[in-house]
Amino acid sequence: MPAETSSKGKYGLVCPLKRARGIKMSSVKFKHRSVGSRCFDIVLYILLGLVVLVTFYPMYYVFIVSISSANHISRGEVTLLPMGINFDAYKIVFKNSRIWVAYGNTILYTVVGTFINVMMTALCAYPFSRPDFYGRKFFTLFVTLTMFIGGGMIPLYLVVSKLHLMNTIWAIVLPGAVSTYNMIVMRTSFQGLPASLTESAYIDGANDIHILFRIVLPLSKAILATMTLFYAVGHWNSYLSAILYLDDQKKYPVQVILRDIVIAGEFMENGGDVSSSATVIATNYKYAVIIVSVLPILMVYPFIQKYFTKGVMVGSIKG
Amino acid sequence: MKFRKNRFLCMALCVTMLLTACGGKEPSESTVSSDSGLSQDGSSNVEDAGNEEGQAEGADQKESSLWLDEELEITILMQDNAAQPLTDYAPAQQEIHRKTNVKLVYQIVPTSSYTEKENVLLATNNFPDIIKVSAGNINSYAGEGIFVPLMQYVNEETMPNFYKLWKENEEVLSRWLVDGELYAFPAIPRDEARNGFGVVLRTDLLEKHDLAIPSTFDELIDVMARLKELYPESIPYTGRKGTSQLLSTVSYMLGSGAGIYYDYDVDGGRYVFGPATEEFKAVLTFLNQCYERGVLDPDFATTTSEQLQYKMTSGQSFMFIDNSGFGQNYTNILRTQEGLENATLQVIPVPENSFGQRRALAYDVKNTGRLFAINAKTERIEDVIRFIDWMYSEEGSNISNYGVEGVSFYVDEDGEPQFIEDYINGVDDEGFNSKYYAVYSDLGITKLNFSLWCTNTKTQFAIQKIVGDWNDVVEEYWEIINADPAYVDPYTAPSLTPEETERVTDILTKLTTTLDQEYNKYIMGVEPIDNWDKVIESIQADARELEEIYNGADARYAR
Repeated sequence: MPAETSSKGKYGLVCPLKRARGIKMSSVKFKHRSVGSRCFDIVLYILLGLVVLVTFYPMYYVFIVSISSANHISRGEVTLLPMGINFDAYKIVFKNSRIWVAYGNTILYTVVGTFINVMMTALCAYPFSRPDFYGRKFFTLFVTLTMFIGGGMIPLYLVVSKLHLMNTIWAIVLPGAVSTYNMIVMRTSFQGLPASLTESAYIDGANDIHILFRIVLPLSKAILATMTLFYAVGHWNSYLSAILYLDDQKKYPVQVILRDIVIAGEFMENGGDVSSSATVIATNYKYAVIIVSVLPILMVYPFIQKYFTKGVMVGSIKG
Repeated sequence: MKFRKNRFLCMALCVTMLLTACGGKEPSESTVSSDSGLSQDGSSNVEDAGNEEGQAEGADQKESSLWLDEELEITILMQDNAAQPLTDYAPAQQEIHRKTNVKLVYQIVPTSSYTEKENVLLATNNFPDIIKVSAGNINSYAGEGIFVPLMQYVNEETMPNFYKLWKENEEVLSRWLVDGELYAFPAIPRDEARNGFGVVLRTDLLEKHDLAIPSTFDELIDVMARLKELYPESIPYTGRKGTSQLLSTVSYMLGSGAGIYYDYDVDGGRYVFGPATEEFKAVLTFLNQCYERGVLDPDFATTTSEQLQYKMTSGQSFMFIDNSGFGQNYTNILRTQEGLENATLQVIPVPENSFGQRRALAYDVKNTGRLFAINAKTERIEDVIRFIDWMYSEEGSNISNYGVEGVSFYVDEDGEPQFIEDYINGVDDEGFNSKYYAVYSDLGITKLNFSLWCTNTKTQFAIQKIVGDWNDVVEEYWEIINADPAYVDPYTAPSLTPEETERVTDILTKLTTTLDQEYNKYIMGVEPIDNWDKVIESIQADARELEEIYNGADARYAR
């Protein structure tokens, strides 16, 4: 919604957006433009095209290797098109019960973890966004300090262990409940909301909880979506806390399994014994696991992206 | 305003309390879910318990040389392996439970992250009863009192089985002692086959062009140069992981060594820093010759494992000098191509070097490098020790390497365990690299599992023979390797004190930075080999110091 209103041209910032739309929608406008401008666009398209290629090709390569036959891969014949197409690697991946269990865990940790993250971050950001919060400066400093001074791996481990969180989901989702950086971003975004809104709510008898949940959060959907994405991707990709705090294999998230399959292959190549010769894990299997574990979070992006760009804009215009 | 602030604080407090209440509540849910997870296990336990009763009535329990009246549960931190995924309470561990009343509980950590986990657990003294621990950590934590000191148990009376193996392998195993004390039980190999770095080449091409198998390194260059003439497009000799790997694979065979190494032929055996010796020129000469005559891959300095694999399996390259076992796999892939059905990459007996020696280093099979330490906080240590000793017995070793007697293996008339073919054939190997890893994983056996007197290759060969993966190339390979007297066992490195380690790291960093810049110049012929004397001169002092540290540390152990 906010982007719609701003595209009406109140702010000079919106101009490029309009122009981009113009190019896409009507070729009439295109003709009116000067040669220089068109050349510039062409160069821009070529450059961006290259950037797209550079980012897209590795993904594509991983995909085509995952559906090619092992012999073609080992001879290095797979470059642009898949060779000897087959889905055996995926069959193996989907048959592997460890991966399914890990998948379920990852989804659980991501959903629960992200919920806690966003909740806690909002709860922390809101008071800091209020100018009348008692001791705001002190607390802000206090919280900001943690960005620069961390406890380190072993003290954190001891804390988690002494709180008896070991080997539970809470060891994964609680220690990093609030990211200071994200909290500050959210606070800035909250501060951007007109003070008159909260004031009028006060006059109508709302307390702070009401204001946060009924007014501030609904108006900050963009920043919430952004935070959700940040946190969710973080949870999806994390493996270290799982390795440190979980003892039970059945609780491992998929990244631990993925890392093991992808990296362990290299470990074994160095292996000095006889059997190491035959144990290099098939590349297509590795890549199939990569695809399977990356795809879901990749598919989340397009849906959240519209909020994502909006969120950044809202923050920059109004902050 | 003040009132409002107070209200705000109250509210925040309430929210925190609410949240903590939630936090308090939800873990109980998770315990429920983990309980339900347990009940799945529980159901399998019921079955096992049924078996147990059934067998307790039989003679099974009495057969075993160890039976604890009170059940003992031992938790072990295990390193997982992607090729052979470990499972908790696999058939072999169930069998151990049935036979000895010791229940092994594994905490399985992926290989790629094991070191991190191990370090944190040791640093916080938070590890389970038994932990697979690195030699470095044993040295660092030896004096801390977190491991049970074991020498008190190593005697004929307390640990008869371990004591016997200890005496047999004392020379090698005593290297795990820290100031005369043992802090971890080493897994001891049981009849392992061994190979090493070797020369592997396309024997089918040699036959086709009537070339004899080279018996010296000079002939080797000639043969490869001839193949280069016949196939101008080819890159006869390639490697993996660049110059450093190239040097470490060929140096010993050519009469020297890469870096600091133990040379059996110098002064009756001592540590030598290879690049600082006259003999090292022979290594550089060989590689330079290969380069000049178009035999060596022009990209030798930047090769990778993948490149080696596809150059070998596409038929572009004819030779590599590295882990000779790779050849078997490459041959299989090579033969899938049209016109290459008879292509063979086979190891050849180690050729003679310019000093008239035939020598090569075998991989270390006397040491598995797997060490298991016991937590000093463990209860019932005497029972744990008794159980560990049983694991070193023939009975314990059979179970932990072959599985369940009567189900997956039987003992033949010579007392040797043999796999039961039907069982092996029945194991589903989908998703595994090979049948034998499928079997290992399924039964919970061999070196990568918790086996203290362990095998890996013997079981592998047995399974390959059963399922028909054992072909002529493999057969011939082992014949050549076993018949070749050139292979010597690597010398077990002495353990250095922390100060020595630090000094060694300093010197090595300095030396490798200097030397890495030099090697390629000499191999590519930019510098004539004779100039290497100058290099030797410039690194002489550091090299001597390094040798002194190593030989000094070595002398501390009475051989």
